[in-house]
Amino acid sequence: MDAFVMQNLMNWLVLSSIYALVALGFSLLFGVLNVIHFSHGDVSIVAPFVVLATVQALIATAFPAATPGALVLACAAAIVVVGLIGVLADWLVIRRFRNAPAMMALVATVALGTVIRELIRMIYPQGSNPKPFPNLIETRLMIGDLTVPVFSLFVIAVSVLMMIVLYVVMRHTPLGMRIRAVAEDRNIARLMAISPSRIYAATFFIASAVGAIGGIFYASYAGVVRFDFGIQLGLIGFSAAVIGGLGSMQGAILGSLLIAGIDTLVQATMAEGASYRLVFAFLLVIFVLVLKPSGILGRTVMEKV
Amino acid sequence: MMTGTSKITLAARRASGADLAIIAGIELGGALLLGFFLLTDDWRLIVALLAVFAAGFALLQIRPAIEDRIVSAFHAARAQALGLGAVVVLVYPFMMQGSSYALHLLVIAQLYAVLALALNFQLGSANIPNFATGASYGIGAYCSALLAIDFGVSFWLTLPIAALVATGFGFVLGFPSMRTRETYLALVTIAFGIVVHQLLNNFSWTGGPNGLVGIPAPTIAGHSFTAPIELFGQRLPSQANFYYLAAALVALAIVCARRLHDSRVGLAWNALRCDELAARCQGINVVWYKMMAFAVDAFLAAFAGSVYAAYVSYISPDNFTFLVSVTIMTMVIVGGMDNTLGVIVGAFLLTLLPEKLRIFADYRLLFVSVIVILFLILRPQGLFPQRPRSYGGR
Repeated sequence: MDAFVMQNLMNWLVLSSIYALVALGFSLLFGVLNVIHFSHGDVSIVAPFVVLATVQALIATAFPAATPGALVLACAAAIVVVGLIGVLADWLVIRRFRNAPAMMALVATVALGTVIRELIRMIYPQGSNPKPFPNLIETRLMIGDLTVPVFSLFVIAVSVLMMIVLYVVMRHTPLGMRIRAVAEDRNIARLMAISPSRIYAATFFIASAVGAIGGIFYASYAGVVRFDFGIQLGLIGFSAAVIGGLGSMQGAILGSLLIAGIDTLVQATMAEGASYRLVFAFLLVIFVLVLKPSGILGRTVMEKV
Repeated sequence: MMTGTSKITLAARRASGADLAIIAGIELGGALLLGFFLLTDDWRLIVALLAVFAAGFALLQIRPAIEDRIVSAFHAARAQALGLGAVVVLVYPFMMQGSSYALHLLVIAQLYAVLALALNFQLGSANIPNFATGASYGIGAYCSALLAIDFGVSFWLTLPIAALVATGFGFVLGFPSMRTRETYLALVTIAFGIVVHQLLNNFSWTGGPNGLVGIPAPTIAGHSFTAPIELFGQRLPSQANFYYLAAALVALAIVCARRLHDSRVGLAWNALRCDELAARCQGINVVWYKMMAFAVDAFLAAFAGSVYAAYVSYISPDNFTFLVSVTIMTMVIVGGMDNTLGVIVGAFLLTLLPEKLRIFADYRLLFVSVIVILFLILRPQGLFPQRPRSYGGR
């Protein structure tokens, strides 16, 4: 296979991994809460800003020069902070719409997304401007005549690892069992001495922390981050989760592979591909939903009469 | 038959002096509040007016009896209420002290009122999520602008053509709605909106990201809409032309809304909202009525788009993004689903608030979003909740 194809296959896998990290959050939250957390993309994109701020703070105090250690520490801090922001978003806003019609929750979380974007813009110094974001791993591997950035391999590896961890947590730990119990029936779960509000907080933390990893990778992949990147990241992650089938983790991954696939394909083959990539990605979304109205792996809703 | 039933409602109670006083008080008070709000630059006065507005609704929240009394007054003296309302709308530009900025805000607010009413057919009446109203708005605007610039077609002819083209797209968008539902349908409309926005951004014949410039203003009987109106020795800024055009459009949208609400179409939409399956069992053609909701929404939104294009004479894809659709949706929900007056008030509030909060400069988007969230939490039924249908004999 020639280098061009390999290069694009690599891009495809990296993009899918990033999208999947965000899509998994959407799917997890919908599965448990039956709520579309539309500001999930914006919550996730807070992470790169926390990384930048922490790195600067560390350079100013503990580490005299930019070392890899500072970056790792900053990423860890960002993941925890963003996880907590997710919990906070639920506690302040989203939990008040548990019993409201789905559209109200959707509009409220869209407004919440605007709040988060505006807060990033205001709190971060000169937040309106795009910020350069460091490449997490600069090293490149030479395999034959092909240059593979270690960063790409790292992104793919971390995403796959996160998927496995999420799967194990959801299927084989007491916490995952509780989360699934609450998703199944909130009231019965309460009778079983499970506190739904704690489970919601835990779910929001997990989803937002995984999204934060996606946000950091997204910024690092693009090399730049701006306060409103969350809209596009959120829309693509949401679309991936929906066309895969909301509530299904495999679906979220499949949806990400599909959307990233058409994204890479269009950019690689069309002359003006970069400007038409969103057109084709969202045409694919419409096409999939016309064929499979509840997503590819979504459960068909049976209605009782 | 429907007019017959509404006449019974009218005759249910004769209008008393108290009714007329309530109506005059509310309409003139509302107009006065809006006028002060538009004309002042003092942020303290703006906050005070908002407080008065909020206090009014807090009062309604605490004492629902007041709301019922007002509604019954408007029912009893509907003709007088409409007459006074029409006079207020006609005279309003003369009260704006020749401020073209205030008139500009009114034009934009009225166009958004039309868009919100358009969406209300779907979201309010039938509970079909649609995040593509902004796209229909854009299709209408681009269609009429391209016809006017490239082919020199008169504005009055582009208006119906643009509406028909957008209606066609509305039907196309309604097609997937036959099978998808709720969140999945919401995503289809989001995707449609993004595709339209991206295509407008990329095609060379739509001017790409730069958009279209120099859209000619309409003329009527030799009077160009860019010229000021001179009437009774008063001189109104040129925006007044579009103010009256937009007001006519709002009136058209209100008439459509009322007629459709009272017709079997509106009933069918309400039935869909309550229970789709039950509606189907009653012999309602669910698919047809859903597609129709999309088409009506696109039709009215395209009207608003045409007027907008002619008014600002410059359009770009960024006027018609996903966030515009979300704003329109917020207007409907904040105003009150399936309540014509509520939706209009919601549109005015959400158009004027960000403009008037310019004093908070960078913080205004944050403010507006926080207000919207608080609003959804505190008064989830909207400013004016939907009222049960009444067929006389209260």
